[in-house]
Amino acid sequence: MQSNDSFLALSAALTGFSTLDLLGTGMAQEYQRTLDATLPPGIYRELLETWASAGGGEAATDQIMGDPKLGPVARNLIQLWYCGTWSAMPDDWRSAYGTTPLDMSRVVSPEAFQAGLQWAVAGAHAPASGQQGFAAWALPPEGSS
Amino acid sequence: MSDEEWYDVVVVGAGVAGALIAKAVSDAKLTALVLEAGPERATSFDGYQRHVRHFYAAAAKNAESAWPPDPHAPQPDTADIRQGSGYFIQRGPDRYGSSYTRARGGSTLHWLGVSLRMLPEDFGIRTRYGVGRDWPIGYDELEPYYRKAEVAMGVSADVADQRYHGLTFGEGYDYPMRRLPLSYSDTKLAEAIAGLTVDVGAGPVPVTVRSYPAARNSTPRPGYRPIGTIDKRPEGGEVEMFVGERCAGNTSCTPICPIQAKYNAGRTLTQADDTYLRLIPQAVVSHIDIDSESGQVSGLTYLRYDDSGFTIHRVRGGAYVLAAHAVENAKLMLLSGLGGQHVGRNLMDHPALYAWGLAPEPIGAFRGPLSTAGIEELRAGAFRSQHAAFRFDVGNDGWRATTGAPDTTVAAAIRQQGLYGPRLRESLAAALSRQVRLSLAVEQLPDPANQVTIDPSQRDPLGIPRPAISYQIDDYTKAGMAAATQVAQAIFQRAGIADCTDHASGTWFPTVTWGDQVFAYHGMGHFAGTHAMGSGPHDSVVDSYQRSWEHRNLYLVGSGSMPTMGTSNPTLTLAALAIRTAEQLIASMSRG
Ligand SMILES: Cc1cc2nc3c(=O)[nH]c(=O)nc-3n(C[C@H](O)[C@H](O)[C@H](O)COP(=O)(O)OP(=O)(O)OC[C@H]3O[C@@H](n4cnc5c(N)ncnc54)[C@H](O)[C@@H]3O)c2cc1C
Ligand code: SF4
Repeated sequence: MQSNDSFLALSAALTGFSTLDLLGTGMAQEYQRTLDATLPPGIYRELLETWASAGGGEAATDQIMGDPKLGPVARNLIQLWYCGTWSAMPDDWRSAYGTTPLDMSRVVSPEAFQAGLQWAVAGAHAPASGQQGFAAWALPPEGSS
Repeated sequence: MSDEEWYDVVVVGAGVAGALIAKAVSDAKLTALVLEAGPERATSFDGYQRHVRHFYAAAAKNAESAWPPDPHAPQPDTADIRQGSGYFIQRGPDRYGSSYTRARGGSTLHWLGVSLRMLPEDFGIRTRYGVGRDWPIGYDELEPYYRKAEVAMGVSADVADQRYHGLTFGEGYDYPMRRLPLSYSDTKLAEAIAGLTVDVGAGPVPVTVRSYPAARNSTPRPGYRPIGTIDKRPEGGEVEMFVGERCAGNTSCTPICPIQAKYNAGRTLTQADDTYLRLIPQAVVSHIDIDSESGQVSGLTYLRYDDSGFTIHRVRGGAYVLAAHAVENAKLMLLSGLGGQHVGRNLMDHPALYAWGLAPEPIGAFRGPLSTAGIEELRAGAFRSQHAAFRFDVGNDGWRATTGAPDTTVAAAIRQQGLYGPRLRESLAAALSRQVRLSLAVEQLPDPANQVTIDPSQRDPLGIPRPAISYQIDDYTKAGMAAATQVAQAIFQRAGIADCTDHASGTWFPTVTWGDQVFAYHGMGHFAGTHAMGSGPHDSVVDSYQRSWEHRNLYLVGSGSMPTMGTSNPTLTLAALAIRTAEQLIASMSRG
């Protein structure tokens, strides 16, 4: 499996969105680069490899989430997809596994803010982008009775 | 000085007040100069879009996040309130929680656009309720100017919804555009609280969810052409005319409407005839010069800056209009040693509380303008002799303002509940769309101790002393906060909304205590009172035309002229006052 595919597959398992949805945001490459550049060397690769070698399914995801080293990374990856933001890794994690200059809380890019899955999941759109059109706000949201 | 020029009218500040006056003056073929402290970055479409991107990338998406100041013309930022740092020197005892924008277009660049008229009774609360002060003019005198302001700013509403608490409208008049459609959540809340009455001390009052007038483009009434995106460039604009002629539901009115469907003062300036109106950006007025014999203003000194430093200039005119907003107007007077004992005093705001909860079913939060409806019944009533009046905004933006949602909702689901995968998605889908927010904006009365002063020991980069603010929220307002909280709780209960209001877990705001209650309040950006109008120099700074009692060729315009504010957001009223001032000013000049 190419690292791009396994990144998408892991992201899908973590976020609850399909790989197609994730590709549709246009953010996959930027987020891969963000992880690679922001985590101490080797950890991004370790995340993908651990998940793949554990079989890449639900059990593998549970294993990652429960892992003291990889769990916090996976949680940050979920947040990246949902919010477009990176949260600085917790202090105890940093002292155990290291840090990089980029590891600080930030909006990853204007595009990342707009692409956040949180807006889609709310049935909405990011503020000041993806406008729904005049009076769309008067209609019932998706999934309401 | 070689560069000393002369204009019929010199205006300080390119916000809505200054823009309306300068435009009226130039329409009358008199020359107007507008000196604007801040930069002019958003006149072209591309320049404006850079601010939109700045907002996308901002870590804290607060009211200032799209409009970074130029260091030479600093401005308050709500992010500084917690530390008590920043541009304002906070003297306490309570923190003043509001901000404004120093750039061409002024604070309307980031305002929300709520354009309510003041109530007839608001103009005489001293006579009627024994509190506050009376205005020297009444509603009937201002009514025609309200209409003109609604047309000038492009306000959407239906008169049929707005006839309450004695509000009247000119014969045959309706707003230039039809009301913006209510949001789905407004409609749901309206249904859920139908028939609810509350009592805040003067008998039972029915409460309803009502569309409020907004300066956001909707469907025009015959004869009105809405103005949307401005794209002014030397070679002519390139953006399609219709962009922004109707609100498209970007859910971002504050801090920036990406398509300019929301009014900002840049629009008014762009429509003026350049032959008569000149605007100089990055020009900070630093002194008002007075002729010692006549007591009239003889000129203004201003500092023009760029990245390499600044130069000092002087300009003269037939009349001078300070439209730099309540704090900066007062600051300029104080810097110049003018205005007597009343300048800077009686600073007000609408300290506001949030109430938030979860609706029993999805209501479509995070869509549409940030709000489209309010609850207006408690703006008036006999209880005002005892405690403050208040109004509610019904939010369409979930818990964004109250807790930082959806980001904080996502973070809690991931980190506290430990969710991921399909369960995370389902949980968020169920929660986000049900988030409800009410803003409880509470009236504040004039108190001379609430005051803007200047502190010569603390200066901005141009060497101009920074404003210091003494501010206290009194018992009258706190009792109003308590009553407003009660009403919010009654509404949530009737609507089956689970009350999640908990300021300890929400966004940080300053607090005041009232008995055993703690209220976390935020500023609404509604600065008022610092150069209030009144019946004479003994009790006020300006007359009802906003003309200085002491210096008859000087006008101080804006919400600083308002002796009281009632519960309406001040901009429509300050715009109506500005148009009235412009008429009088032009008439006096034509008479010669
Ligand atoms: C978050 C927020 C939301 C708001 N929402 C609403 C709302 O929904 N409804 C409502 O009615 N009101 C609202 N307001 C208030 C509204 O923005 C102001 O009442 C209004 O914009 C004030 O207009 P103004 O022209 O008097 O002042 P401003 O718009 O502040 O303009 C003053 C101008 O003067 C310039 N200036 C300052 N000092 C100098 C100087 N020394 N020399 C030269 N120029 C100077 C400034 O740079 C600025 O451009 C809101 C405010 C905030 C902060
Ligand atoms: S909802 Fe959007 S389009 Fe409409 S006025 Fe607000 S920001 Fe502009």
